Amino acid sequence: MAEARPDRADVLASRVRSYGGTLVGVVAEHEEYWRQIFQLAAADLVKTYRGSALGWLWAVIKPSVTIFVYWFAFAVGLRASSTVSGFPFSLWLIAGILPWFYVSEMLTQGTTTLKRYSYLVTKIKFPVSTISTFVSLSKLYVHAALLMIVIVVFIMFGRPVDVYFLQLPLYTALMFLFFTMWSLFASLLSAMSKDFSNVVTSFVMAIFWISGIMWDVNRVNNPLLAKILLFNPVTFIANGYRNVFIYKRWFFQDPFALFAFAVVLVVMFGLSLYTFNRLRRDIADVL
Amino acid sequence: MRAKQIPAIEFRHVYKRYRLYRSDKHRFLGIFSKRVAFKEVFANRDLTFKVERGESVAIMGKNGAGKSTMLKMITGVAFPSSGKIDVNGRVSALLELTAGFDPEFTGRENVHLRGQLWGLDKAEIAVLERQVVEFADIGVYMDQPMRTYSSGMKARVGFAIASSINPDILVVDEALSVGDKAFRQKCDRRIKEIMAEEKVTVIFVTHSSGSAEAICNRGIVLEKGKLAFDGPIRDAIEFYEGPPDTPVVAG
Repeated sequence: MAEARPDRADVLASRVRSYGGTLVGVVAEHEEYWRQIFQLAAADLVKTYRGSALGWLWAVIKPSVTIFVYWFAFAVGLRASSTVSGFPFSLWLIAGILPWFYVSEMLTQGTTTLKRYSYLVTKIKFPVSTISTFVSLSKLYVHAALLMIVIVVFIMFGRPVDVYFLQLPLYTALMFLFFTMWSLFASLLSAMSKDFSNVVTSFVMAIFWISGIMWDVNRVNNPLLAKILLFNPVTFIANGYRNVFIYKRWFFQDPFALFAFAVVLVVMFGLSLYTFNRLRRDIADVL
Repeated sequence: MRAKQIPAIEFRHVYKRYRLYRSDKHRFLGIFSKRVAFKEVFANRDLTFKVERGESVAIMGKNGAGKSTMLKMITGVAFPSSGKIDVNGRVSALLELTAGFDPEFTGRENVHLRGQLWGLDKAEIAVLERQVVEFADIGVYMDQPMRTYSSGMKARVGFAIASSINPDILVVDEALSVGDKAFRQKCDRRIKEIMAEEKVTVIFVTHSSGSAEAICNRGIVLEKGKLAFDGPIRDAIEFYEGPPDTPVVAG
């Protein structure tokens, strides 16, 4: 199947066509299968909490324990000051850590979606690109439930819902978009190699501590470092939730943070499209 | 044969190549670099054939001849490395009956899930459920998680699901041994029922010739991934069983 060497413009044109076709294909798969995506997300949710006596409560218990442990370690153990930038530490912590529960699920389970749902790839004809989407959606349902609880907690602490909550859907949507693409990218790679999922799992804690969830990115002294840290999408999301719940700032008040996230989002888009285009046809052979 | 009709299945110079790397690590690096060494193995080479609607074709060949790979490409879960495949119509594959289930869900839930995956609406799923419950006949196990099933029970549910859609193209692997004798006969009857439908295309995979002759009127013989023979079933069987095969090293 050797051919004469085509010139560069031809190669480029055919690549653009190939990636364009892949993108159109992914969009079309989602359009055709949107009902199945919602049904599978619900099924995934049921499966996650099935078989335990407390069932759904685990979705609340696990995060509550985590929040309590961090609060205990910092407020009691390390005797950190009881306020951060003038806000009560506990509320400040809750607002920033809230998106992390979704993010950590997507970093760990989002990376292994194709392996867990391998029967949808190798045994049934099913659009592979939608698998990450419905898993991500299932995690988003849990996130939405937690979000409601947190809003109630804030109201109980005398912090009612205000106009800044209007930007909450934006941050949630950006988070969903980014990590769904991440999952598509990562699950393909981890299906090809176990090393990849091991790398990701071993970095989850590192990402947590580097992302300014437990500390305030805005108070980093080195201005260059402060800028660089904003290229971490987890930081952007955690900050975003704090903008809503704590700082009472609008998303456009920090244009650089927005710009940095946009850059990372575009890169993630490119990576997931590249990987999907490259591996879609091979993935059933290796799973 | 009617020339103007759209064929049910058409293969045009289909190759299926597997790349074998030395290890997982090499395979991973191979995604990004073309310089990582690998061995190429062809499961299918230059397959070209057409199957018209309503035909029943036996696919014969030894283990490793490339039958399964070919079937996977017909069902659409695997893709050719080069060449083109057209499949027109709804395919139902009776291949690995015990696979394709979520072990955490009950049999009934898996039926619903499959119905949803096929895009059926609620009423259609209810019909599907009734048919499967009746055909599989596994009693109270229908409401137990499928991880607790024996392979026989899984196969029963699997066959019941796969055979309950009215396919345009039916792919049957003869090697499928489904439960006890009584159930096997029930399955045979069901397959014959589906085949009796007009215009159903049947692909019947076998390494033996006896049943092929009973069901099919055309035979394709694969040897080491290549199409070695394609013609009337009697000639195909003669070709397949005639000359002794030389020992095969790679499939």
